[in-house]
Amino acid sequence: MSLLPIKKKLGTGLVAGLAVLALAACTSNDPKSNSDNLAGGTTAAAQGSNDAAGDKIVIGFSAPAADHGWMGSITESTKKAAAAYPDVELHVAEGTNDVNLQISQVETFINDKVDAIVLLPFDGAAMTPVALKAMDAGIPVINVDREFDDPNAARVTVLGDNYGMGVSAGTYVCQQLGDKPDAVVAEIAGIDSLPLTQDRSQGFKDALGTCGLNVDNRVAADFTVQGGETAAANLLQAAPHIDALWNHDDDQGVGVLAAIENAGRDEFFMVGGAGSANAMRSIQAGDSVLQATVIYPSTQGADGIKLARLLVQQKALSDLVEVEVPRLVQLYAPVVTKDNVDQYIDTAFES
Amino acid sequence: MSESVGGVSTPEGPTAGDGPTRDTERVERAAEETARDSGGALALLQTTAGRSLGLVVALILLCAVGMITAGDRFASYDNMMTILRLAATIGVVSIGMTFVITGGGIDLSVGAILALSSVWCTTLSTQTMAEDTHWSVMVVVALLVGAGCGLINGLLIAYGGVVPFIATLAMLASARGLAEIISNRRTQIVHVQAFKDSFNSEIFGIPLIVVIFVLVAAIGWVLLNRTTFGRRTLAVGGNPEAARLAGIHVKRHTVLLYVLLGLCCGIAALMLVSRTTTGSSTHGTLYELDAIAAVVIGGTLLSGGRGTIVGTVFGVLIFTTLTNVFTLNNRSISEQSLLKGLIIVAAVLLQQRLASRKGNT
Amino acid sequence: MSTTTKPGVLLQMTGIVKEFPGVRALGGVDLDVRAGEVHCLLGQNGAGKSTLIKVLAAAYQPDEGTIRWDGVETTLSSPMAAIKLGISTIYQELDLVADLTVAENVFLGHEISRGGISQRSRANRLVRDLLARLGHSEISPTRIVGELSPAGQQIVSMARALSHDTRLLILDEPSAVLDQGEVDNLFRVIRGLTAEGVAVVYISHRLEEIRKIGDRITVLKDGITVATGLAAADTPTSRLIQLMTGRSIEYVFPARPVEARDQGKPVLEVRDLALPGVFSGVDFTVHAGEIVGIAGLVGAGRSEILETVYGARRASTGSVSVDGKQLRRGSVPAAVAAGVGLAPEERKSQGLLLDQAVYRNITISSLGRFARGGFLNSAAERRRATELTTSLDVRPAGVVRAVRTLSGGNQQKVVLARWLLRDCRVLLLDEPTRGVDVGARSEIYALVRTLADSGVAVVVVSSEVEEVLGLSDRVLVIREGVVVHESAATEIDESRVLDLVMEGRVA
Repeated sequence: MSLLPIKKKLGTGLVAGLAVLALAACTSNDPKSNSDNLAGGTTAAAQGSNDAAGDKIVIGFSAPAADHGWMGSITESTKKAAAAYPDVELHVAEGTNDVNLQISQVETFINDKVDAIVLLPFDGAAMTPVALKAMDAGIPVINVDREFDDPNAARVTVLGDNYGMGVSAGTYVCQQLGDKPDAVVAEIAGIDSLPLTQDRSQGFKDALGTCGLNVDNRVAADFTVQGGETAAANLLQAAPHIDALWNHDDDQGVGVLAAIENAGRDEFFMVGGAGSANAMRSIQAGDSVLQATVIYPSTQGADGIKLARLLVQQKALSDLVEVEVPRLVQLYAPVVTKDNVDQYIDTAFES
Repeated sequence: MSESVGGVSTPEGPTAGDGPTRDTERVERAAEETARDSGGALALLQTTAGRSLGLVVALILLCAVGMITAGDRFASYDNMMTILRLAATIGVVSIGMTFVITGGGIDLSVGAILALSSVWCTTLSTQTMAEDTHWSVMVVVALLVGAGCGLINGLLIAYGGVVPFIATLAMLASARGLAEIISNRRTQIVHVQAFKDSFNSEIFGIPLIVVIFVLVAAIGWVLLNRTTFGRRTLAVGGNPEAARLAGIHVKRHTVLLYVLLGLCCGIAALMLVSRTTTGSSTHGTLYELDAIAAVVIGGTLLSGGRGTIVGTVFGVLIFTTLTNVFTLNNRSISEQSLLKGLIIVAAVLLQQRLASRKGNT
Repeated sequence: MSTTTKPGVLLQMTGIVKEFPGVRALGGVDLDVRAGEVHCLLGQNGAGKSTLIKVLAAAYQPDEGTIRWDGVETTLSSPMAAIKLGISTIYQELDLVADLTVAENVFLGHEISRGGISQRSRANRLVRDLLARLGHSEISPTRIVGELSPAGQQIVSMARALSHDTRLLILDEPSAVLDQGEVDNLFRVIRGLTAEGVAVVYISHRLEEIRKIGDRITVLKDGITVATGLAAADTPTSRLIQLMTGRSIEYVFPARPVEARDQGKPVLEVRDLALPGVFSGVDFTVHAGEIVGIAGLVGAGRSEILETVYGARRASTGSVSVDGKQLRRGSVPAAVAAGVGLAPEERKSQGLLLDQAVYRNITISSLGRFARGGFLNSAAERRRATELTTSLDVRPAGVVRAVRTLSGGNQQKVVLARWLLRDCRVLLLDEPTRGVDVGARSEIYALVRTLADSGVAVVVVSSEVEEVLGLSDRVLVIREGVVVHESAATEIDESRVLDLVMEGRVA
């Protein structure tokens, strides 16, 4: 488990008691720990000299509340990535959906004069002023997943690719159904009003267009198991025959699969989204309609840590010629199928 | 700190019957009264201070923990300002909430009103108007929206006969819904530079929003303790029927209380808008719980009739300092929430113990 | 082991004393009730009847005295113990849950169930039997109680009493809510019960009823049994009224001014005031310096008249004028602004902010006087309040103590001080001496008279006829929401007032 360099001075009896409680709570549902190799990068990435210990640095990290498996995994993997470096001390200001509080957390980091801040804002625009303040104070900010509205507010931005997710899913569906122009394609989206959902759907639609398919049935859920179940049950009622189904999110996918099971339907294949370990195990086992999932990496925070470290220790991305760390890193959204699931399952998140 | 609260010291002693008493007894009692009366003001001060004392001790303990665990990182000027900036928004809401709770009500919609105010004052049209005329247009809009929502709450409760819990629950849902509709669920960014500059300025090195918090607290204290409005609030909260029969416009007063809180939400919305340079329908989520918690641990009676602004300010500071100490020490939000819950329960149990002891004398 | 009880005596109470702080509610009551009889309790308001039946129901524990049940000395430790013995009480204010069904109400607290699962059909069947026994099989056990008429609700209460094995049934003014036909039916039910050997304690103000249904009468006065075992059928009315009136304790009423007051300027004019279902056509004038008393039974509309004059209730017709200016209907602030003050009946729940300081209770209606631009001058408040409490001799002194810590009489003085401070023109006093002990009463009477002498128009409502007659210059007698008599207080005596208010509809 992670051994954070937490200052143990706060060891008052009360906090000790809390810690015991917290540990008890952790061990009861600790996910089968499977991704200890985060520190060295994914299996594909070679372990470079950059991992050699450098100057001791302090990184502050703040993210929204872990009310979704993906978000929980962000914090987990970030902590793990930091723990793997003896030269990194991570200050975690944990999970809040209150921008006022998150601003205050970042202010604390600034007061503390940390060397870098990795920030996954609850609301990118709302966190921009305080990020600017940090940059003004000479602290590089690594913006993760939700973009600030001012490019000067971050030194590096690490983003997933929502449009790319849709494209990947669409392309996969095309590959499977390309020869059937009248195949029925369905889609279960996340929260419809979010730009990220709109981007994903747009990508999906565009990719399907290239092979002459279109979305016949579309419903939206809300990223929760319960919402997925409800949306899927309605969709299955509305569409008596389906050939392919894309579900944006594997967390809500648990509910979607339950609804499919209940309806006794198996005439179609399903593609997931985000890439939870659950979904990948299911793909590996091949025991359900879930054939593939499209990854929206939950390792963005971990990559943020790595980039922050390089930045502060003035190292370059070793495989690039450029001597500075790039301004923007956008992560790829690969399709995971039974054939390549082994490659990804270790970095997948537990929902 | 000579704040007088609604409740009054209850000196133990015989609840003297005024029946035929023998002269000696009467003389003795009179002497006792004189002795006690000379110390009346002092006794009042002592109990009020006594009530706040627990909070002071709690805050000092918390600061001690902060100093021990984080040293200068905690005890720096910058960190104090960080705590106060965090406290300012929720503090202004809590001060308004103190009035409503003292007046025998409750308001669950403060977070939603804050969100709606923040959204309304940052719409494109508001901002355009502000740029064309003056940035204070945004201030006026936020305050009007807050006060308007409070007015609706108050009218529903006082004249519609809807219980406060339900009326404000409805406002919670609909104000946030309206905020989402207006903003289209997008975060609205403030472009009016003059607004940002004004609100993010400092006065003698103290951030403006902290100054506003202090002002609101001071005005709130005076209003509750030194004006007819405050006295009537205590009466309406303590016994609405007796207040009505004493000739107080109870309904009108109730409306005013909710308008006042709505206004505070508008002020808090401006503070949050300036802090984030955005207006959003997600601003202020769950602030109602934070505000009620701060008010209650401060010593204001949830059933009304007794309220303390100083207590509320301490309540807010305790919670925000707790958050700060936990952040400085890398502790998780979950532990914080757990501790927060324990503090609330402890404070309320203590309050009830005091109340029951008072009832017995 | 008792040998003194006569055969057939079910309940014997001897020397029952019950004291409340400052008030001796029962000062030695004797009562014996025989199985199968209807024993009537008679007495004025405040004579101790309610306290006595609460002792019987074990809602109060007596301070002294013995209770024998079936010849054995017993302590009634809890209401449940009283019910187990077979004592059931039906209060004037029926204690039914309006939203539950008849059957659910009957078995409230001892639900018919097996293993925690309620057995509704069995309960309904049992209730149907009980209702049939009471001659009301038309009431369905599944009806919602709130939908029944008052008479029907009373029957449900009785069914509840019978659902326990009742041997003594206490009925507190059962006929107050009933019309003639319903009263006849009630009597039929009572006769049926007594025929089964159940004893009934019957409390009523209506002599006619007592003569019709009662066997024996016990008369209470000032918490003491003054006569017992009187034959209900042939004790003369004059003798009963004589027993009920004439106090052992003489109150000191202040002397009336020599010249008649109704020659002064009219201050309060009430014209044709009506509140639907409560009172109508109330019409009176109070002159400066005059005290007008209103006498009547509980529920006759006395308090409602005062509250309507004060604007706390909204009159349907009629007008109230103070110094010739008509008040806005249904507005307390308007009345207060015009100089009207009310000392309400329920002093603690309606009159005072119990946890607040004495001075704050006094100044609450005159805050404007101590404020400049909304800012209060507390020192001035306390100073003025201290002057008032000193002149009224409020004890203990000290205006920052909570009003809760004062006795009833002193609390009443605080309420009066509030209106004194306002220099009010009209003072409405509802039961000004309720919960006030004997010594303090005289002080309050003197205070009221002093106020009147200073030119205030005073209206006093009281359940105690002697108080109304002793204190007032002029008296109105109310029966069922109508003024049935008006005269100078000196022109009418207590027994005549009692005659007027007790002339039941049964006559």
